Parts: sequence; structure tokens; C-alpha cells
Amino acid sequence: MPGVYLGMLEFLIGNTIICHAVEAMLFASIACAILGVIITQVQISSIGFTMAHAAFAGAAVGMFLSVNATVTAIIAGVLVAFLIGPLSDKARVSPDTALGLLFGISMAVAIFFIAYMQTLGRGFSAMGLLFGDVISLYSEEITYLALISVVAVVFVVVLYKEITGIIFNRRIAESVGIRVKPVYYAMLFVIALVVALCLPIIGGLLIYVWLVTPAAIALQFCYRLSSMFVVAPVVAATISVSGALAGLEYSLPVAPLTAVLFSIVFIGAVFLSPKRRVTIRKS
Amino acid sequence: MTVSDPVIRLENIYTAYEGADRPTLADISLSIGKGEFVVIGGPNGAGKTTLLETINGMLPITHGTAVVCGQNVRGDGVHVRCRVGYLLQNFTFDPLTPFTVEEVVLMGRFGMIGLFRKPGREDYEAVEKALQLLGIQNIATRPIGQLSGGQQQKVLLAQNLARNPEVLLLDEPFSNLDMFARESINALLAQLVGSGITVVIVSHAFDDLPDRPVRVVVMHDGKISLDRECHPAEVGQVIRNAGSVPRDA
Repeated sequence: MPGVYLGMLEFLIGNTIICHAVEAMLFASIACAILGVIITQVQISSIGFTMAHAAFAGAAVGMFLSVNATVTAIIAGVLVAFLIGPLSDKARVSPDTALGLLFGISMAVAIFFIAYMQTLGRGFSAMGLLFGDVISLYSEEITYLALISVVAVVFVVVLYKEITGIIFNRRIAESVGIRVKPVYYAMLFVIALVVALCLPIIGGLLIYVWLVTPAAIALQFCYRLSSMFVVAPVVAATISVSGALAGLEYSLPVAPLTAVLFSIVFIGAVFLSPKRRVTIRKS
Repeated sequence: MTVSDPVIRLENIYTAYEGADRPTLADISLSIGKGEFVVIGGPNGAGKTTLLETINGMLPITHGTAVVCGQNVRGDGVHVRCRVGYLLQNFTFDPLTPFTVEEVVLMGRFGMIGLFRKPGREDYEAVEKALQLLGIQNIATRPIGQLSGGQQQKVLLAQNLARNPEVLLLDEPFSNLDMFARESINALLAQLVGSGITVVIVSHAFDDLPDRPVRVVVMHDGKISLDRECHPAEVGQVIRNAGSVPRDA
């Protein structure tokens, strides 16, 4: 969809740069937070973490080869997701060790190409991959982000039953007749897509915060999974938009500032969580 | 033992875990009829749980024929699991698990509802009925992680009953239950068997088994070493005696 820009928040924010930044953060945070609920509850955080770094490596290779970095990031993320199982089976190592191996390879590839690009004088664009850059986004990138946040919502709504079964327990889900494998791989594919598209905004080093922290905050207050799928994106969107506005207002790096805000809110949520309160009722 | 018109029919079944150098189940042949109550015994590692997971198609069969509820397990495991209840061994849930009891019980019907469909009135009615059967409707809205091990076990049993199974496979169903809960579950199992549901149970607790003939299958080293009917009071002794039976007996 080259050149298509929906300009959803321009009626609220006059400044085009700030508007683009806020829109990007809003859509990225919604998509990441929704999938983050799945990642944290299925307990595949390490898979999400490794996929994020593989996408980061893929984007670095794409930049080096001067091809579309988003496409190479998606390919690398999906490849890693599908390699984890076979690698742990064939190499006779635990999935945890397989993830460690893939994470190490991803980081090595990413750092190699970023360092090499710096020696070639192409370091600026590579740094954007590390720390994110909300200002120099193309309008079609924001449109893609809007689409992927819609894809994330539709994915969860359409497969809600199967996703909840897998989140509850994969073996029990399988035993009740849920087709676990296809749904699980579809989950990994959507996660890879979201990670790859959010990478230029949030950066390879910080995207994990967007994937894990909103869900962890929601878990402090929610007793039902359905509420987590609502609370996590609302919290993520609020913090991300606030971070973007504050960062641009005071000329601070937006993604790291927002990541710090996420962490502060998480600490506050832990202290305020009703789940840790002990109530003794007198009958 | 031979059974006419079996609901579970296994013929020369071999099952192996990926990477294993020998089969976990070897040359198993077993026929179980409608409404039978079968206790599977044997030492740890004999292949009891593997046998249950072979029957419901969760483990790949490397050789042999398995037909359960009229469906070939090898090609149609998902459909078999929609008609077969399976209570897994030793499950407890984290206190923060974000699911209520009624949500967990409803999950029992997700496979039979099918992809892209939402649960309907019939599904919620089945959940209500299963909660009542287990006597846990009073905790329907409570988070499962905040219940005791015994209550969680009952919820998982209700989850299996919610899909009105033709066969119920139970792996150590009494492991977290107190004496009273065991009595009530055994009474429920007797009622289910009486209504024509086949119950296959792996257990080391043989008190208060339903007062009806029990079929005992003893396993050793991935093979069936004994298969006979006995009185419920004799089950423990029969399994203990079979412990001395050599592997190829």
C-alpha cells in the first residue's frame, strides 16, 4: 500500500511530525500489548525475545544489502520461530538451549552488520534499529502499523477460543480436541509480523518491553484473560502516547523514555495490585 | 480378553517417543467394550500413561491399528479427542492463572465447537450440568488458581464431562483428593459407567471402587502382562500379584 496514509489523528494534533510519532506509538503499542498477553501467558517470552532479536538481525542484513529491511526482519523472525522446534529435536538440546543458540547467532549477525555499516559510514540508519526512531517514519509505515494492530485484534477475536485453550495449558488444549499446532504457529507468525513492523519505531533492544510489560501490568489487576486483552493495550497505548508527547516536547529519546515509563507503572502496579492484598472477613 | 463391538480397539500397537531407541509400548492389543470399568496398573514407567495418550491420539502410533469410538486414531486424533475425555496426571495451577472455573470447564467443549465458532447455549448448559455433577457450581466464578488441589482436580474432571464423552480416560484422578472427595468421585464414576460411558483409569488408590466387576489390565515394560476381570475389593491384590509375573508371561 505505498503512499497511502490514513492520517487518523491529524484532526487532534496539528503538527505532522508529532502526529506521525503519536500514531506510530499508538498502533505499535496496541499490537505489541495484545500479542504480549499471549506471549506472557503461554510463557513463550523467551521465544518473543529471540524473535525480536532475529528480526533485528534480519533488518540489519536488509539495510546492509539495501533491500526492504521490514521484509528481511519478518523473514528472520518467522525463520527463527519455526527453527526452534526442529533445532532442539535434531541437536538433542532443550528448547531453552535452542533459543539461547538462536539468540546468540541473531545478536552476532546484527552486531556484525551494524558495526560494518558504521565503518562504511552508514551508521545512523543502523542506530535507528537499535533504539528506535519515531520521527523519520514514512506515512505508509504508519498505515502498515495501523493494519497490523487491526490484524492483531482480529487474530485474537477470531481464534479467541483456541488461544485461551493454549494459554491455559497446551496439553489440556490438545486433549480437548483443539488443533494446537496450527494455531500455535499462526501465533508465532503474527508475533513475527508485529515485531518486524514495530522494530523501526521502538528499536531491537527495547521492543521486548512493549511485548511483556503491558501484559505484566494487566495481570496485576485482572482475574480474567478477556480483561487482560482489554487492559493491556489500553495501558500500553496510554503510556506510549504519553511517552511520545513528553519525549517530543522535551527533546528526549522517545522509545527509551517510554520504556522507563512502562517500568515505573509496572512497579506501581505491583504495589497497588489487589491480588497481593490479604483480606480477612469476619463471618 | 475379547469384547464384541468394542469402543476401544488396539491391534499390535507400537508407540515410541521421538529420539527413543526402543518403543514405549510394544505389541499392545486391547479391546474395551461400552460401559466397561477398566483399571490399569503396573509399576512406574510401565507405559500406563503412554497407553492412555495412545488411545486418545496424543502420541503418534508407529505401528498397528487403533480404532476408538469408531474412528481411526492415526488419521483422526482430533475428532477422537472430541469424544474422549482425558484427565491428565498431577495438574495444579498458579494462583495468578487468569481463568475462572466456568471458563475452564467450557474449554472442554472447544474442540467439538470447532474453529471460528463461538460457544452457544447448548455449550453453556453442558457446563452447568458438569458443574452440578461434580457439586462445584458454588465456585463457578472463582479463579482456578485460588482453589485447593482437590477442587482443581474436580474442575478438570468437570471439563472432561462437559463434552459428554463416550470414553473417559483418567490418569491418577485421586492424587489430590481427600477421602470424602474420593468417595464422591467413585460414586460419580459408578453412575457414569452405569449410563454406558467406558471408564479407563490409571490409579494406585483402589479403595471404594464402584461395586461392579472391574477389569484389571497390568502393564510391565510397555507390554500387557495381565488382563482379567475381578471383584473391586481384589483389584489391589491382583495388581500386586501380577508384579511378580515375568515380562513375557
